Amino acid sequence: MGLTGNVDPAVAKVEIIAYAKKRGALAVGVADLDAIERIAPPGHRPTDIMPRVKSVIALGVGGQTQGAWSVPAKAIAYFGSTETRAYSCAYGLAFFIESKFGIPSIYCPPDMDNESGPRVPLQSLKLHAELAGIGARSLAGDILLHPEFGYMYFASVFTELELPADAPMAENPCPAPSCIDMYRKIGQTPCMKFCPVQCLSGTIDPQGRQVEMHYDMAACAEMSQQYEAVPALLAEALAAEDEARRTDTLFDPDHKMLWYKMSVGSGGLLAQCFECMRACPIATRAPQADPIRRAKIST
Amino acid sequence: MTRGLTRAQLGVTDAMIASYGETIFKLSNNHQIRRGDPIRLRDFTAIEAHRHELGMSDAQIAERLGLNPTQVTFIRNMEERRRFRTGHYHMLNRLGGGKRFRAERMTPYQDHFRYSEDALAMRAGLAFDPARVRAYVEGGYWRNDTLRGWLVRQAKTNPAGKAVVDASGAVTYGHVARSVEALAGGLYQAGVRPGDVVAVQLLNTLEYVESFLAISWLGAVMTTLYTTFREAELATQLRHSKARALIAASSFGPFSPPAWAQQQKESLPSLKSVIAVGAPVKGALAYKDLVNSDVALPADVPEPTAADPFLLLYTSGTTSSPKGVPLNSHQMLTNARLGTIEHNIRVGDIVLSAAPFGHLYALYSVKMALCAGAAVALLPQFSPADLTKCIEGQRPTHLFAGPAHLAACEGAGLLARTDLSSLRLVVLSGAAVPPDLVRTVEPRLHGGSLCQLWGMTELQAGLYTRLSDAAEIVATTAGRPSPGTEVRIADEKGASVPTGEEGELQVRGPSVFVGYYANPEATAQAFTTDGWFRSGDVARMDGAGNVTLSGRIKDIINRGGVKYNAQEIELLIERMPGVAQCAIAPVSDPRLGERACCYLVPRPGAQITLKAIGSFLLAQGIAKYKLPEQLELRSELPMTATRKVIKGHLKPQSPTV
Repeated sequence: MGLTGNVDPAVAKVEIIAYAKKRGALAVGVADLDAIERIAPPGHRPTDIMPRVKSVIALGVGGQTQGAWSVPAKAIAYFGSTETRAYSCAYGLAFFIESKFGIPSIYCPPDMDNESGPRVPLQSLKLHAELAGIGARSLAGDILLHPEFGYMYFASVFTELELPADAPMAENPCPAPSCIDMYRKIGQTPCMKFCPVQCLSGTIDPQGRQVEMHYDMAACAEMSQQYEAVPALLAEALAAEDEARRTDTLFDPDHKMLWYKMSVGSGGLLAQCFECMRACPIATRAPQADPIRRAKIST
Repeated sequence: MTRGLTRAQLGVTDAMIASYGETIFKLSNNHQIRRGDPIRLRDFTAIEAHRHELGMSDAQIAERLGLNPTQVTFIRNMEERRRFRTGHYHMLNRLGGGKRFRAERMTPYQDHFRYSEDALAMRAGLAFDPARVRAYVEGGYWRNDTLRGWLVRQAKTNPAGKAVVDASGAVTYGHVARSVEALAGGLYQAGVRPGDVVAVQLLNTLEYVESFLAISWLGAVMTTLYTTFREAELATQLRHSKARALIAASSFGPFSPPAWAQQQKESLPSLKSVIAVGAPVKGALAYKDLVNSDVALPADVPEPTAADPFLLLYTSGTTSSPKGVPLNSHQMLTNARLGTIEHNIRVGDIVLSAAPFGHLYALYSVKMALCAGAAVALLPQFSPADLTKCIEGQRPTHLFAGPAHLAACEGAGLLARTDLSSLRLVVLSGAAVPPDLVRTVEPRLHGGSLCQLWGMTELQAGLYTRLSDAAEIVATTAGRPSPGTEVRIADEKGASVPTGEEGELQVRGPSVFVGYYANPEATAQAFTTDGWFRSGDVARMDGAGNVTLSGRIKDIINRGGVKYNAQEIELLIERMPGVAQCAIAPVSDPRLGERACCYLVPRPGAQITLKAIGSFLLAQGIAKYKLPEQLELRSELPMTATRKVIKGHLKPQSPTV
């Protein structure tokens, strides 16, 4: 690695953003490292895995196409590779920083904490992105939304290159005006109403701002994150009252897919439910949520 | 980390899991509450104040509860496992594109429809030879034919086409489809579920057609009750079939099946719903309310498939007590679909059955009409006058009748006076067809054709003559096997007999049943060791493959070791002047083992004696040992719904010879 002594942070940031956008990122920002360190719990802070980190770069790639929101949920479950586009973009960006500026960088591991198990990430990509100003927490279980790009997938890069931090969004696009109207009529926003396991609830103040967001992640996981079903099903099978019931438990058509995912380690095929996002006007109808429209704007 | 460590190594006990599990579950990110928007606003005070509500790491929880992080992780895993409900994933598969989740459209996994034990028992009885299944599927015989699928197809492609016609007018396929779907919803509301047996006792009416199709639409199983059945027969069949519901006419004369059934709740524990067609019956549901139901079937009710049983029919019982025959759509609808082609039934045709819908033969005609997009003409109840009136009024293109129906019309002198010009095909089945009847009827058809068909409840249409067959073939044989059906004429050891020789007609094929319902003994007797169904009919086959039926095996008279076929003698006696009908059955004899008794219905005013019968038969060249040795004069003989003599009910009243 050829270290470069004089790197202008502002220039470097422009080049980093340009690179990431060229690789498919819709939005790129630099999070306030001090804020992350204060908010993230011990063991989940950037310095826990890269002690000399100076900057956290967050980027987001586009979510689903308009068509994806209209196909059956089980089909959407197979669009899980979308998130890997964000990871590959960040992976490339880490190399770019090192080769361009000669400064150590890492692609932030996105998955779970080895010790804490599923649903506890080693690093919160959501926190990075929010503080980098490329998304704000929604009533839909804190999924980040962007007023221009809607629903995105996020990835992060840690680098020892010190870059000027961006500020979080000045306004939260959630709830959208139509959601506020619905809430005032029935006490629920679309994401709350159409959640199959009713894992969302919350309140909105008279000015249309979020007051409280309640998210029952356990209920959500029961539907969409099947890795937790594996030990439960095995336990059910072991405790089955007879051979036939045991066989039924293990060979149920739904469970066959589960065994497949488990056996091939196919995290990309974990099925998301997405009903909250399918009902979300920001995710589906933000000005540039539609890739075709984005293409037209950029040309 | 906890992986691989035991509770003893971790220092965790069941008491600790019980004590701390709930708190750890809630402090973790399983339940998240965010107040305001503190992270975006970098309101660190608010974040700290509510950190526990946003979800804490195991290390943070451990610090809070006075445990170590590995203990927290282990306890959290145990608590999550205790709470985790499997089976939600199937909901994901049912969330359609662009449709928003509606709780009322989803059935929780554990509440998903399940077949009753009785239904599963019947399904278990449909165990086919895997090699035969493969052959039927690969041969194109078995497709996913269902009555529901056929009705939907006709309602979509031919909504204005006539589906049912009677003297009052016509009902279109579109209308029938709507009525059937509503009735299926009504039956569901009445407690009928897929796989349940629904008994039907109705005349040949629109309500019968709707009931048949609605039961099938729902995935339930119809068992038919002859309209002549009364308390004893009804109780026997309702009990044996474990019928969940009864759809019956409010009354047949003074007898009200719904009223009777209402009184039998204790003796018929499976019967939950009684539905009356016609006048209201106290305690019974009204058919008209069900057919106007707006209850939609829940989404978790499985749409019926061809492999589902959809009929449970009882054999006509000419030789023994009734036996239930469960049949699925593969078996019945393959046979009907291919029969439609062979009988040349086309869209716009009109199919009339003189036989009651309670019999499979009549249902065969209904199924073919539905398959082809033809109309079903309704003859509520047979009488010679009503049949000929229906033919002239409804102008059917196809008539499905028993030989006795036409013989009765001819006997009443009605056929010669009836305009039969609409008939392109008359199918005769249900009993042996006298060749003379064929020769009498065919010239009256003005170019139409006759067809002899042999079938049984166990297989529907097994043999029939074809439209291109010569008149003599139609008059003297039951034709050749229906498509896919294989037949052989076998001796007592199961070996095929030479062409032209008599033996038992044995059958196998895509429509042949696989076993009697809850009757393994009868099933074992019904099949040869190599899987052929023993029809019990005596038959011979000519060189072209045409089969002639010559009686029942049990009609064989064994007179001192010399055997002969009773039907051969019956047909001759029925040609005697003054004889309306006769049947010969064996009576036991201490010296010979068996001897023949002739049960005879004389025409009005005729005087028939045993001596006269003997003289007549001898004049026909019949051997003396075949002469009846006892005569029983009767005003009528016990008959099945298809006008077949029930020989098991014939008992001599006089010991005289």
